[in-house]
Amino acid sequence: MAGLYRPRRAAEWATCAVAVLLVLLGLPLLIMGAELALLGGSFYYVVAGAAIIAGGVLMLMGSVSGALLYLLAWLLTWPWALWEVGFDGWGLLPRLLGPTLIAVLVVLTIPVLRRVQKTSLVRKGIA
Amino acid sequence: MSRTDLSAATSLCGLLLFSSLAGIAPARAQSAYQPAPPGPGEADAPGKTGNKFAGPSPFAPQAPGVNAANIPDGPPAEPGEVTPAVEQISSHPAHGDWPAYGRDTNATRFSPLEQITPENVGQLTRAFVYHTGSKPAAGQTNKWAAETTPIKVGDGLYMCSAMNDIMKLDPATGKEIWRHEAGVKYASIPYTAACKGVVYYTSSTVPEGEPCHNRILEGTLDMRLIEVDADTGKLCEGFGYHGQVNLMKGMGESVPGFVSMTAPPPIVNGAIVVNHEVLDGQRRWAPSGVIRGYDAETGKFLWAWDVNRPDAHGEPAEGQHYSRGTPNSWATMTGDNALGLVYVPTGNSAADYYSAMRSPEENKVSSAIVALDVKTGSPRWVFQTVHKDVWDYDMGSQPTMIDFPGQDGPVPALVVPTKRGQTFVLDRRDGKPLLPVEERPAPTDTDVVGDPRSPTQPWSVGMPRLGLPDLKESDMWGMSPIDQLFCRLKFRRAKYEGEFTAPSVGKPWIEYPGYNGGSDWGSMAYDPRTGVLIANWNVTPMYDQLVTRKKADELGLMPLDDPNFKPGGGGAEGNGAMADTPYGIVVSPFWNQYTHMMCNKPPYGMITAIDMHTRKVLWQHPLGSARANGPWGMPTYLPLTIGTPNNGGPVVTAGGVVFVAATTDNMLHAFDAKTGKELWNDVLPGGGQATPMTYEQKGRQYVAIMAGGHHFMMTPVSDVLVVYALPENK
Repeated sequence: MAGLYRPRRAAEWATCAVAVLLVLLGLPLLIMGAELALLGGSFYYVVAGAAIIAGGVLMLMGSVSGALLYLLAWLLTWPWALWEVGFDGWGLLPRLLGPTLIAVLVVLTIPVLRRVQKTSLVRKGIA
Repeated sequence: MSRTDLSAATSLCGLLLFSSLAGIAPARAQSAYQPAPPGPGEADAPGKTGNKFAGPSPFAPQAPGVNAANIPDGPPAEPGEVTPAVEQISSHPAHGDWPAYGRDTNATRFSPLEQITPENVGQLTRAFVYHTGSKPAAGQTNKWAAETTPIKVGDGLYMCSAMNDIMKLDPATGKEIWRHEAGVKYASIPYTAACKGVVYYTSSTVPEGEPCHNRILEGTLDMRLIEVDADTGKLCEGFGYHGQVNLMKGMGESVPGFVSMTAPPPIVNGAIVVNHEVLDGQRRWAPSGVIRGYDAETGKFLWAWDVNRPDAHGEPAEGQHYSRGTPNSWATMTGDNALGLVYVPTGNSAADYYSAMRSPEENKVSSAIVALDVKTGSPRWVFQTVHKDVWDYDMGSQPTMIDFPGQDGPVPALVVPTKRGQTFVLDRRDGKPLLPVEERPAPTDTDVVGDPRSPTQPWSVGMPRLGLPDLKESDMWGMSPIDQLFCRLKFRRAKYEGEFTAPSVGKPWIEYPGYNGGSDWGSMAYDPRTGVLIANWNVTPMYDQLVTRKKADELGLMPLDDPNFKPGGGGAEGNGAMADTPYGIVVSPFWNQYTHMMCNKPPYGMITAIDMHTRKVLWQHPLGSARANGPWGMPTYLPLTIGTPNNGGPVVTAGGVVFVAATTDNMLHAFDAKTGKELWNDVLPGGGQATPMTYEQKGRQYVAIMAGGHHFMMTPVSDVLVVYALPENK
């Protein structure tokens, strides 16, 4: 199993920080979301939490798919948010603002992750 | 089910409860819980039983300082006859005056002034500010919320400070003409240092030109009535004991701050009608909520209405006291000289959240409008807005008298706002609803043993509801999905079955509407020319839980008069010991306790205009901006109208402008009365938690607002009265 990649340059350190952030944000979503689902509430949070943690872990392993997983979760959040509250601005605010800001950060990590992934493949090829 | 049937059913319930409680009493013996008020035989000082949680006997003598002015009481008085009164100016206010708290006897909060209009209101500037001098001193916990509305008669603007000093100001300059210092002590502040207003009274026995022909009357935080001469501010010697009446007479055991007056007492056909606040959440056998009449000329006792002594209208015999724990009325009452009635908005029996120990008599009159005959103190009719209230839905608003358009001409009607956002419209003659009221099923599921809920509650279906639909999980809010999720979880962890969700011990329950309203003490404004009713209201759910006596003791919840009481151990709003009952109460806003943001999405405050001819909403929108609110109490400075919690009423003018402050953005707002469009606002030096007023002096219209702030609303405290006018000579 592939381990965590070792960041070398500033961009890689920043990517790593974004990945850690995803895991840290995903954990409360997963834990509180699980209780919410058990109490008969929305399943969105536990599912989103799991996806975001998985995305963060994959990113820490240097995989682009981690970033793509986050972006997929973010994209699917839009129809869910609209389904829950419609076009109510105050209602959309907590559901979309934060996740969108983070999506911007995640998009910025994609080129870095691409490079990391390529290098590690090259390294594996050599070995 | 008709209303009478229902009250009969509730009384029966009350009886059953009492007997069932007697059965469980022994099991609670260790918690100093008494199912009935202690009898005279047990009259003794506290601590006699050796139980440190045993409260003081209600027969214990009043502690020093409770009779604040050391006024000699004299023997208990029998019911008396009132000195015949002359007509008061508040019945026919001069065009430019605002002679009573609600402007006139009808409490319309309507002024016929027209100088300020929607076209020119944008030019309002500050004419003057006046400092009352009353705010927390260094080291004092902030319990301030002045809530004052000045009155204006002739050449005087009369007001009180939060600590009850009375002042006469020049209405054109704000210069202090005289000041009567009331000498209220910090210890006498109950939940809040508030003085909503003073009362103008013209004597029927003192001739014009002599001192105390015109008088200013005030009720104080430390339970005195004070009458001073309107021209000089000197005490009226002919009133009571050298100008004062001790209202603690007959109240039995108490401590300073337990019982207090914050609202101006109306004078109806010569009788001053006195109600008082009893600090919520302390103990079941708190001092009485008795309503009393006093002679406006002499201060002589006239009658008492004591719920559990319905046939005794005199003062209690030596060594006895008014019946304890009865519903108290702290709202501003409305007097009806023509019908000889006073409309008393009642609160709850003491220990708001537990109803099993209330008498059938209490159950009939709590959270109701009680119309008392001002000659005798006997109720003529009762209209109840909540049956067996355990949600602190006590009546905060001053009811407004209107001529209701009926089939055979106008009907004398009373508009009754409630914390539930249900507005009842009653016939003042008999208390019958003029608009349909339905008894609708209410939740009854509860884990509180022996305290069943009323199966139905009254809904005023003929009036627009000042409220939003029941909460859903998806209404939960936050800045991000995480804090939103936290609130969704809080929502799911609690018991919530819509309005009137019954109290619960096992888990928290959501109380929505919350005890801040709907409509709270701000009351409503009514333009009698257009028939438009203006109301600002709240959307603030609460998160409540009953706790066992053991848990309450662990939390340090103790009543104010307990020898072990520590300040901060539970006040009116929030956690309370509810001593003498099996439970304490834990109450907080339904918020995220880490970010201090409400859990439900905005708006938290609204303003509505209703056409009383059609009972249709003319306009309605969120009230208050986000500028001074935000997570962790930080101001966002965002000019977005979010709708904030609000305390303080509206004013409507013939010029077509509505003035309202009240919001937690610390602003005074002006709206177009026709469209609701916001025309102007100004940032105040403190929270505007008071009702504004308007008057004319020397041809110029002024708008005054007390920017005293409010400790519970967490708005900045100030001692500033801000007065606006249009620029001169323009």
